[in-house]
Amino acid sequence: MAQFLWKIGGEAGFGILTSGLTFSKIATRLGYHIFDYIEYPSLIRGGHNSIEVVVSDTEVHALKNPIDYLVCLNEDTFKFHSDRLSKESVVVYDPDDFDFDGTYVRVAVPFKKILAEETGEGVMKNTIALGASLALLGGDLSILFSMLEEQFSRKGEEVLTFNKKFAQRGYDYVLEKFKDVCKPHLDKREDHEKAVMTGNDAFSFAAVAADCRFYAAYPMTPSSTVLTTMAAWQQKAGLIVRHAEDEIAVINTALGASFMGTRAAVGTSGGGFALMVESLSFAGIAEMPIVVYLSQRPGPATGMPTWTEQGDLLFAVNAGHGEFPKIVLAPGDVDEMLELTAKAFNLADIYQTPVIVMSDMLLSESHKSVQTQKMKDLYTAKLDRGKTVSQPNGEVYLRYKLESDGISDRLIPGAPGHFYQANSYEHIEDGHTTEEADARTQQVNKRNAKAKTYLANHFVAPKVYGNIDTAKTVLVSWGSMKGPILEAMKELGDAAALIHFTHVFPLDKEKISPLFGKEKEYILVENNSHAQFGRLLQQETGISIPKALLKYDGRPFAKEEIIDYVKNS
Amino acid sequence: MTKNEKFSAYNPTWCPGCGDWGIGMAIKSSLTQLGMDPSSLAVVFGIGCSGNMNDFLNAYAIHSLHGRALPNAVGMKLANHKMPVIVIAGDGDTYGEGGNHFLHACRGNHDITLIVHDNGVYGLTTGQVAPTANKGAKSKSTPTGIIETPVFPLTLALTQGATFVGQSFAGDLPHMVDTIKKGITHKGFSLVNILQPCVTFNKVNTYQYYIKRSYKLPENHDPKDYKQAIDRALEMNNERYPLGVLYQVEKPVYHEQTASYNKEKSLVERKRFEDSDILIKEFT
Repeated sequence: MAQFLWKIGGEAGFGILTSGLTFSKIATRLGYHIFDYIEYPSLIRGGHNSIEVVVSDTEVHALKNPIDYLVCLNEDTFKFHSDRLSKESVVVYDPDDFDFDGTYVRVAVPFKKILAEETGEGVMKNTIALGASLALLGGDLSILFSMLEEQFSRKGEEVLTFNKKFAQRGYDYVLEKFKDVCKPHLDKREDHEKAVMTGNDAFSFAAVAADCRFYAAYPMTPSSTVLTTMAAWQQKAGLIVRHAEDEIAVINTALGASFMGTRAAVGTSGGGFALMVESLSFAGIAEMPIVVYLSQRPGPATGMPTWTEQGDLLFAVNAGHGEFPKIVLAPGDVDEMLELTAKAFNLADIYQTPVIVMSDMLLSESHKSVQTQKMKDLYTAKLDRGKTVSQPNGEVYLRYKLESDGISDRLIPGAPGHFYQANSYEHIEDGHTTEEADARTQQVNKRNAKAKTYLANHFVAPKVYGNIDTAKTVLVSWGSMKGPILEAMKELGDAAALIHFTHVFPLDKEKISPLFGKEKEYILVENNSHAQFGRLLQQETGISIPKALLKYDGRPFAKEEIIDYVKNS
Repeated sequence: MTKNEKFSAYNPTWCPGCGDWGIGMAIKSSLTQLGMDPSSLAVVFGIGCSGNMNDFLNAYAIHSLHGRALPNAVGMKLANHKMPVIVIAGDGDTYGEGGNHFLHACRGNHDITLIVHDNGVYGLTTGQVAPTANKGAKSKSTPTGIIETPVFPLTLALTQGATFVGQSFAGDLPHMVDTIKKGITHKGFSLVNILQPCVTFNKVNTYQYYIKRSYKLPENHDPKDYKQAIDRALEMNNERYPLGVLYQVEKPVYHEQTASYNKEKSLVERKRFEDSDILIKEFT
């Protein structure tokens, strides 16, 4: 087996998404790598939900188009996704519910009948479906049982036994009636211990690892699960998580906490970020560290809340009135989210300025398997708080002292015998307000110097995947598009390479230029309609990429779309 | 050096006769009399003539954006609950631009003291009406008179859950010192609204206006009686201004109710969390 795609769909509000996560965890516990993607409307009930999981024996970053296993808990699942089926696709359905035309491998499972016989509730269809799926894929049912135990043990033995029965019925039914269809796709294999995380999980986990003790947010899809995840960890991990009255309060509360000396972060999507922007500029001039998690969704305005787009890059880069330094990072997958979130908190402290970590619905809400060792390592990594001090060096303390690297000592409030103000007005070295021309110029120069210091010390050039010298086509992208492109490259082979940016702003021309200007066909791949990274690259480095593959229908690229485009260009 | 001088930075730039002079003096005297020190005090200034006290008062301070001083203060208190946190802001800051934050700071009962310079105008932008201006007040931005009725800060604070609601007058230094001290020593959210004549731009709410229309709460006023407090506050709808502590009750404060509250170790004093396994477990 190289990989297969399993998809389950049903009516919103009936536990479909939980089933998908359970399936992902089962595959991971059996030693496989996974990537999953959810689709749901901006409704609580009454819409259609689906989740699909790619399972592979090597690392996997994105979806593929053909569905190998489609589990239909309602007729819509078949109707909405049948265009991705082939005659080899296995379709699990209940003939008492609906029937369909076409040649597929039909696996008829009487969900309704089993529910009636065992007096189960609608949501337990999922458990039957998971049991049936494990039978089809040769998976060990005991793994599902142990997950049910973790889920229901608190509710007592009776509830647990009751739920297990549905898994067993689905499993037994398929083994009995469809033995010839079953394949050993999920045989247990040895691999590193892995966890299953979304980009939002990874941000939350790495933020705590990086000693972020204060998180504030106002719920906004697709960033909301960072708020709920971190809120649930407050007691365990000694955090304060505040759901404030609006996004303006969110960022200003976090800035207050940051001023007092604790690492602080906020999270939102485009609309909420728009409200925070004045305060971002405040953090810039007052030189207060802050990490902003910006998980994009298609705009403008309310847009398509539960879908994906990379439409806010230039907004993030240009956010805030006036001129001040800012660092924008865009992890390409869950692993990079762990790594760059931890880095973002160091950078915020070192440069005493806003650091934005960009995500989008695709990265924020898709699960990927990651090695648990990587997660553990974050908790033992040394923190770099830059020039944060608890006592001034010397008798006179100047908060905005002119320094050639642009960074002055930041004193944690409370040091006896001292005081200072973090000032949103232009100020002189000691923090007092000024309108004097020379002092103004000096402070602007000081703040601007941070960008140069960053480029010299912490900027990381884009990573090249594949062999750029042998490739005919070089794809250029940023952030979450890494996944679909890497999956496409598995099929394109040596013909294609990828230049992938995670440190998207500011950009260092000297370090980037050598990768461009070769006799290659460069193609920009972005999940937006304005080719925003292409514009940014041109503006910052003069490098122009006229050819662009863009998608902005709210969906991420399927690897086949990239393959087709490259082959036909 | 008098004791107040440890709080004194630059000489203020307020207009001669401005009520801010008195308020600035009262704040410094209150801090001195309470035995406080600039190194153990956190202050957030809003933007406006009031906020310009940033350069005249020493403390660990944030000079915030217009309207955003309160959420800054909330974050400061949550990060380090051992430091007293005071907000010095204007009526535009608090009841206009930051109106939403004001409502939510009251209902959160954050342990913060909010001192509002309430002069009915935007002095720093040369005299447009503020949300507390009397209905019909003419200004550059409302040449035919403001159409809205005023925001009534005391009623608003009382109905939104503030546990200390007081009012004073910029022309009465001892009364201001007394009220501010009570506000700072109150545990929970305290509003001290100070009626402040703007001698340059507000020709209606003058010293004479307030002397005529304000009165000190009688001795039999019970600050624990919510209904009495509301009744007194409502008198402002008819341009009568009670001075003193209208309301004061003890209720649990916000930071002490946070899930991870530790009296001994504020957020900034804690050790780094290191038990990664208990979090990893959730993802396997």
